[in-house]
Amino acid sequence: MDIIRGVFKMPRLWWLISLILLVLLATLPLYGSAYTVILITAIIMYVILTVSWTMFFAPTGYLSLATAAFFGIGIYTMAILGEQLPLLPAVIAGGLVSFVVALIVGAITLRLRGVYFTIFTFGLVELIKHLLLFWEINVTGTRGRFVVLENNNTIFGVILGIFVVLMLTYYLLRRSKYGLALRSIGENEEAAAHLGVNVNLLKVFTFALSAFFMGAAGAIMATRWTYVDPYVAFNVLHSFLPVLMAIFGGMSQLYSPIIGAVIFAYIEEQLLTRFPEYFMLIFGVILVVAILYLPNGLVGLVRKWWQKGLREENVNS
Amino acid sequence: MRNKSIMFMVSLLLVLVLMALSLFVACPAPAKDKIVVGMSRPLSGPLAIIGDSAFRPIYETWVPMVNADGGIYMSKYGKYLPIELKIYDDKSDVGTMTRLTEKLILEDKVDFLWPACGTSFVFGQAPIANKYGYVLVTAEGGATTIKEALPSLPYLFVSLSFSDWYEVPVLAGILAEQGVKTAYVVYIADLHGIEYSGVFGIELPKKGIQIVGNVSVPPDLKDFAPVITDAMNSGADAFLCEGYPDQVLPAMGTSIALGYNPKVWLGGPGANFGFFHTAFGPAVEGVTCWAVANRKTSPAMKEMYDLLYEGKPEDVHDWWGHPLYWASLDIWKAAVEKVGSTDQDALREVLATTKLDTVLGPTWFTMFGDGGGLMAYESHTGEVGQWINGELEVVGYTGIEETLPNYKATADFVYPKPLWPAPAE
Repeated sequence: MDIIRGVFKMPRLWWLISLILLVLLATLPLYGSAYTVILITAIIMYVILTVSWTMFFAPTGYLSLATAAFFGIGIYTMAILGEQLPLLPAVIAGGLVSFVVALIVGAITLRLRGVYFTIFTFGLVELIKHLLLFWEINVTGTRGRFVVLENNNTIFGVILGIFVVLMLTYYLLRRSKYGLALRSIGENEEAAAHLGVNVNLLKVFTFALSAFFMGAAGAIMATRWTYVDPYVAFNVLHSFLPVLMAIFGGMSQLYSPIIGAVIFAYIEEQLLTRFPEYFMLIFGVILVVAILYLPNGLVGLVRKWWQKGLREENVNS
Repeated sequence: MRNKSIMFMVSLLLVLVLMALSLFVACPAPAKDKIVVGMSRPLSGPLAIIGDSAFRPIYETWVPMVNADGGIYMSKYGKYLPIELKIYDDKSDVGTMTRLTEKLILEDKVDFLWPACGTSFVFGQAPIANKYGYVLVTAEGGATTIKEALPSLPYLFVSLSFSDWYEVPVLAGILAEQGVKTAYVVYIADLHGIEYSGVFGIELPKKGIQIVGNVSVPPDLKDFAPVITDAMNSGADAFLCEGYPDQVLPAMGTSIALGYNPKVWLGGPGANFGFFHTAFGPAVEGVTCWAVANRKTSPAMKEMYDLLYEGKPEDVHDWWGHPLYWASLDIWKAAVEKVGSTDQDALREVLATTKLDTVLGPTWFTMFGDGGGLMAYESHTGEVGQWINGELEVVGYTGIEETLPNYKATADFVYPKPLWPAPAE
């Protein structure tokens, strides 16, 4: 127990471990199989969606289901600009368009709270999907779009880059005074406003910041999917899965949603390929169990066991 | 304690690295004793209902049939090899399908690739198959847009008939011969619906049929009453509903409920399946849909249907796609045997030039330059069907054989269609 306790008290060691893991990840195309790269790309995509969703929800308590909307905007931005722009500017454009849309939508709707905000964000996915559909049918006459095909290693490199920038952003945000202010909004919004926190500006900006990463992830993933239409791009699964993954992993620590997303995505992959006929049944049972018995997620459970061990150790000594 | 912690972390890292390495250690290749065919299919999600009724009954019947004869003869190995299917569930999600397709190709190294389900999925899968040089003979799905992409997709072979290949021109010919003057079009607001709406807009006016209504509906629309009421008010001779089962079935139910009895009622994908008949019973009389064949088309077709539907519920009967999928697998098998190995380039060349007698009669793919191909519409034994006396009959117009030499109408078109049966007292 001393060893584990020691590890948790050593942030420098955590940085070192993170760095080693990052180097292992970054060099994956050199030693991993082609499919391993593809699988890890998909897992990192889920991690980005989950962490960026958590970035807004964990401190503020505002439950957004607009992930699919911003992810889809990124996808469509790449579908439209992919042939005109080089890859990186197109990915950044995907993030920026999502950022701007989130800024506008957030400014209008983040005065709503609780279930009203959640329902609106869910509606936003449908709204954007149908607006785009109307535009494609009546204005451009397009019936789905082929997207520029990219090398799998390039896609992996870009999505890993997005992940690193996201984690640094989230880390700095949590440690900054803005992170504290956001948490105060989550605790008591009125009190935060009375303390001088510009509540609306902070909420809208963080909402848009999380949307930037969702959009950038969508833009790069579009190049893997090769063909998109509004139904493919704005799939509501992308709104619900990050929520479930965050619940599965927990949200208390910086790494909790990452662990949730990685394990969740890996289990899904294994079930889809090893038990395809029973995927939904087994997955459903795992979800129900996780929601019923892991209120603080996997990380919460591990910490609970650890703390219980510590208490027993103290009693014994 | 610090040293202990570092030791702990180093051990942990070593274990992780060893676990990762174990994933990449190659095993020696076993002797070739089977042909592995990989598929990413919608076993769950919204497309599962289509997949389960369309291509699934075909491969579940065709593969055991071929294996019962020993499999496919591969001259490279000097023996017959049975087919083993490796199927993954793509959850009806394009992103998952693309990933699993690459898993089948790169990790499982399947010998051959068979298709995903749905037009969008074909569009997403074709560039991947092309990228890795895998031949892809498709099943459910097809669209005019794919014709534009075919020159750059040399490994793609599309088997299903679709709007201008050659369904709507035949429908227009039938309607014109019957004296239809006006049509009301309802279509689902997606790639499929928009395409059919566009082709209706070209082909019907060519035959002097005026489109008096052209309405798109979202895929999740449940209440068709406003649309049906509008169609009723238009007084159109023909009501053409181009959607999927989720639209066609409620549109049919609402038409019956509101007593809307146009002279022609056409339903897109959905009305061609057995479950349409089991759902509506005698009310299906006179309903028009897309169909390729039935048991009366030819003795070979009867034999195929008897084998295919033996012990299966009527719900999975499909009078549109099944003969085409079966014929495409027969051509594929003949081409693989001719190549005698898993060489995809050679298979592509043979498929592009093979003309084979299948259940359809002489069957081949029309190639688009050096690109991919579509199953020749001249191979089709039917395009339009109508439910008559509880059977889905293939219907046509006078002189259709001049354009479609394999076409075999099994009944005369009933015009106007009978009124819906009176509701039970």
